[in-house]
Amino acid sequence: MSKGLAIVGIAEVPTKRDPERTRWDILLEVCVGAVRDAGIDKNEINAVISPNPMAQPEMQNDMALGKIPDVLGLKGCRDICIANAGGTSNTNCLRLAQELIDSGQANFVLIPHTTVQSDMPPADLINFFATAPLDKQWEYPWGVSFNGSMGLITNRYMYETGASQEQMAAVTVGLRAWAAMDPMSIFYGKPLTLDDVLESRMVSTPLHARECNLLADGGGAMVVTSHEIARQMGDGRHAYKLGHGTRFTSAAPFTREDIFFRESYRASSQDALKQAGMTIDDIDLRQIYGAYPFTQCSALEGYGAVPENQGAIAWAEGRCGPGGDLPCTTMGDAIGRGHTGSGVSMAFYIDCVRQIRGEAGERQIQNCNNVIVTTSGGSGMNTCTTVFGSEPR
Amino acid sequence: MSNYQKPLPVIQPHSAAFWEGTRQHKLMIQHCRDCDSNIFYPRKHCPECWSENLDWIESSGKAKVFSFSVTYEGLEPMFQQDLPIILAWVDLPEGVRMCTNLLNCDPDEIEIGMEVDVVFQQATEDITIPYFTPSSPVV
Repeated sequence: MSKGLAIVGIAEVPTKRDPERTRWDILLEVCVGAVRDAGIDKNEINAVISPNPMAQPEMQNDMALGKIPDVLGLKGCRDICIANAGGTSNTNCLRLAQELIDSGQANFVLIPHTTVQSDMPPADLINFFATAPLDKQWEYPWGVSFNGSMGLITNRYMYETGASQEQMAAVTVGLRAWAAMDPMSIFYGKPLTLDDVLESRMVSTPLHARECNLLADGGGAMVVTSHEIARQMGDGRHAYKLGHGTRFTSAAPFTREDIFFRESYRASSQDALKQAGMTIDDIDLRQIYGAYPFTQCSALEGYGAVPENQGAIAWAEGRCGPGGDLPCTTMGDAIGRGHTGSGVSMAFYIDCVRQIRGEAGERQIQNCNNVIVTTSGGSGMNTCTTVFGSEPR
Repeated sequence: MSNYQKPLPVIQPHSAAFWEGTRQHKLMIQHCRDCDSNIFYPRKHCPECWSENLDWIESSGKAKVFSFSVTYEGLEPMFQQDLPIILAWVDLPEGVRMCTNLLNCDPDEIEIGMEVDVVFQQATEDITIPYFTPSSPVV
């Protein structure tokens, strides 16, 4: 039986805020683009599995109830589903797709993501992101927002690790340096200096405006298949999934023992690396979806790529940005890309594929063969870590 | 009091005793009679042992700041008049952590580890919300 999972087709639209570009405009462009990129016929797609477009109820119904294969005429489609685990939704789409492939139900699965947030009133968006992941009884009455919640964690992170405001700001500078070279980013051509970050408005201490996320519109799609089929396609250079691990912490941040997700990064990456037969030293690129700067630091510590409490130092020394010896998150994280809702992690997987294929342009990591990708959902409820390689096992 | 504009807690049957406590200016913490855990936030089943044999103990309300964040912007309009809001996670001596606001203190004077005491503010006839304030007011 043809097993394993490989990403063999990708497509994306530039991330921006443009209410004229509809959810379906994005969806159709990325679906057609990813199938063409894979070099297969549309009727070879056996299933469509999508991240749930949160806060967009009409699109949610369209995607959950079968419109995509209908509109695109996917005659070989046998199954459809949307997955929702916040920012880890794409990760779970990949896992569902793998189950269909491993069980012989599908050769090719299409995973599309679309989000438009620019047509929603700002107060509605704030309300959504305060009430969906946060507790309506134990957080919301006190004015907790996503930024506030992550400010609480970041403040404690700085207290325990000794990281300075400048070191933390260096994370955003590094992410924006990557993003400035990425035509898919809302901040393409717009790098920041340390002063730009530190002099931006204070949103919720210690987080400045530049250290918080701009909610944006965007989307992407992947076509996935088995290791065996992938090996026979094109030049055979694809992103092969080699290992995976997950951990759950808690929905409510104030109840967690693993405040910085560091132990979850540690455990999930150890599981994933063990399955892949690798150690963290075998990894050429780390793609970390954490949405806030402290995650770029605590993930490095949890992976064991730097000693505990030294993640921010690595960023401040320029090791994780362009030209560094420990490159991280070459698509700029959501801070550098523009946050596209629950399907946000699509961009991390797509960039993993680009890097393994050698198609990342100015951002290309030399000899990029092994990539570790970590995503998180809600306000950090879970951590999903996957190892991809350029060769199947 | 009826003109309170901010969101009120969505109360559940198993948390009603907490909010009945705050009305009486008492900070009540759920306690499991079977495994002796102190539980926050309140639940129907003890998250340690799934017992439903749950009771309540009164906290001293003397806590330490585990972390804080001063929010200056980005909240819904109903919070506007209260900005900046000092968010805090405080550790109670009963071994539980809760999310709250710090009142009556200068944002620049707050430190992690600072001692704070519970205070109560009536929001509506039915709802009183617990906040915390520095134990030793800064001179």
